[in-house]
Amino acid sequence: MSAAQQVAENAPVIGNPIPVGAEIYNRIVGFLYQEATLLDTIRLKEWGATLAPDLVYTVPLRQTRPMSQQAQSVIRTVQHYHDNYRSIMGRIMRLTETRSAWAEDPPSRTRRMVSNVQVFATDRPDEFAVVSYLLLTRSRFDFPDMDVISGERNDLLRVDGEGFKLVRREVILDQAVLGTPNLAIFL
Amino acid sequence: MLTKASYTLADGTPLSDLVRVPTREVQMRALSDPEIYQLEMDRVFGKTWLLLGHESEVPNSGDFVVRDMGSDSVIVARAKDGNIHVSLNVCPHRGMRISTVDAGNTQIHKCIYHGWAFKPSGEFIGAPVEKECMHGKMMPKEDLGLPQARVTLYGGIIFATWDLEGPSFEEFLGDAKWYFDTLFERSDKGLEVLGPPQRFIVRANWKAAGEQSAADGYHTLTLHRWLGEVGNYSKSGDGGSADLSPEMYGVEVSSPHGHALRCIDLGRKIKKLSGLDPAELTVEQKLEALPPPGMTREMLPQLRKHLSEEQLEVMVSMPPQVGGIFPNVLFAFVYIPQADGSVLGLTLLHAYVPKGPDQLEFVNWVLAEKDAPQELKDRMLMQSIQLFGTSGMVEQDDSDTWPHMTLAAKGARGRRSTLKYQAVYETGAPAGWPGPGIVNEGFTKDDTQWHWWLYWNELMNAKA
Repeated sequence: MSAAQQVAENAPVIGNPIPVGAEIYNRIVGFLYQEATLLDTIRLKEWGATLAPDLVYTVPLRQTRPMSQQAQSVIRTVQHYHDNYRSIMGRIMRLTETRSAWAEDPPSRTRRMVSNVQVFATDRPDEFAVVSYLLLTRSRFDFPDMDVISGERNDLLRVDGEGFKLVRREVILDQAVLGTPNLAIFL
Repeated sequence: MLTKASYTLADGTPLSDLVRVPTREVQMRALSDPEIYQLEMDRVFGKTWLLLGHESEVPNSGDFVVRDMGSDSVIVARAKDGNIHVSLNVCPHRGMRISTVDAGNTQIHKCIYHGWAFKPSGEFIGAPVEKECMHGKMMPKEDLGLPQARVTLYGGIIFATWDLEGPSFEEFLGDAKWYFDTLFERSDKGLEVLGPPQRFIVRANWKAAGEQSAADGYHTLTLHRWLGEVGNYSKSGDGGSADLSPEMYGVEVSSPHGHALRCIDLGRKIKKLSGLDPAELTVEQKLEALPPPGMTREMLPQLRKHLSEEQLEVMVSMPPQVGGIFPNVLFAFVYIPQADGSVLGLTLLHAYVPKGPDQLEFVNWVLAEKDAPQELKDRMLMQSIQLFGTSGMVEQDDSDTWPHMTLAAKGARGRRSTLKYQAVYETGAPAGWPGPGIVNEGFTKDDTQWHWWLYWNELMNAKA
């Protein structure tokens, strides 16, 4: 059984939507904004501290398929990212503790715009399913072109004291052929 | 054979001046010039065999994927007779792209513009309003099919060429085939893809990636230096030295057709895994200690059925691990050290599809032996994604480098600078080396890449 299938079987049952403006909703939006700040300001170790040890972090491929085959437009075999806590920490270590992570040295200038946040209860009182839109702009060197990465995040957040830990993130990208030379940045 | 070039670029430069044979230099403008790019589409991509995918992507009748041959879109489809056909994805009626999706299954490819229909084999079925004969009476139906490329399967990998009368794929591989067979034709059931390929755009000329794939070893020392700094490759205990140069000794195989293989010494890995001196071990014992990428010990008897004793000797001592198939393919059959001290083999294929003089599409297939257990395939898939392709910690540095070379090649002065391939082997093949071809041993040099450029030069200057 693949790692992705295991997650699907262990995933919590998603329940009712939590209204916009509810206390837990506001706290979750605050977490997502804070997370965007950590990533955009390259505080990667601090971001790493918000990840759950049982993290699964994936970015499926997309394919252009007819209207009748939209379910097959999301590919979860080969993906763009297929990581767990240990491998994400390895990526952070490469970016922060070596002097030769050239794909992000000099680093990109990025803006993560997070919007359309919907929060759902799950069958576990301390875990919330969160759907949000991500629009990420990436500028490198003196290149005039800005890479734009857009997609939908499907997150699972676990309450951790006053904050949250990211347990699961799947980013459904909109491009079948990505317009950025690599994903050396976290989505 | 180099022929006397007759073609002159718009600014008066003879095409044959781009590659300076005596000093092993290439003019930088080759990496950006639109005029050169247009010539390449006919003279290189119109003549050579091109990687389009793997037959396991289209297992059933009617299955198809849409891919590119140079600047042309093609439909790669399995027909009712089981054969794979590669058809130009252009409706012969008014030039509409027939398939507008990436993949699917159909027995009828129908153009959405005027409804002309074609079989997976490219044969013309008919146009609407048959009784009014929409397709006209000037040409017979047989002449209204989709232009067919010549197709071959090699280890299940789909290659095609527009050069219908040119060399066979075997002739194209030449002496390099002996080595490629150890990668692609070594097991009973062969390889399969683990999913559709990753695809992304790099704002770089396809040759920046293509020539690096011709077994460039030097870039590893600097561009991939991090491998020596952290993680399972790092030289912990060696005073934190990030020196990767010990890995750069080996054997490099060049081809007159631009194919290249970097063969890397397995001795240290085998010693680490088995605790024994590789010189004292038989071929069998070495295979047991470290099976080839993606193979389990249970699968080892398959190797004997498909490969010669000489090929097995190379596989256990100095196997090809990275290299390229001209013009735009990179292969990786690599041994990746794991945290627990074991070694995980990975098998990948890339195509760098030209999308204009300063843009390429990076297409990355992740493969595994069909016979490998699912658990091994899953580990290979995850590790492949983490190291190679889109988010891969190794290749994200490569794809961030090529755009700078392409930009530099646009400068009024920069375009006249030259790429230099002046580190020349003086060794030849190691004593007793059993394989054919242009073989050199020792620390990595520029010969494989230089031979890549020589073949590019030959094709570009060949008489039409």
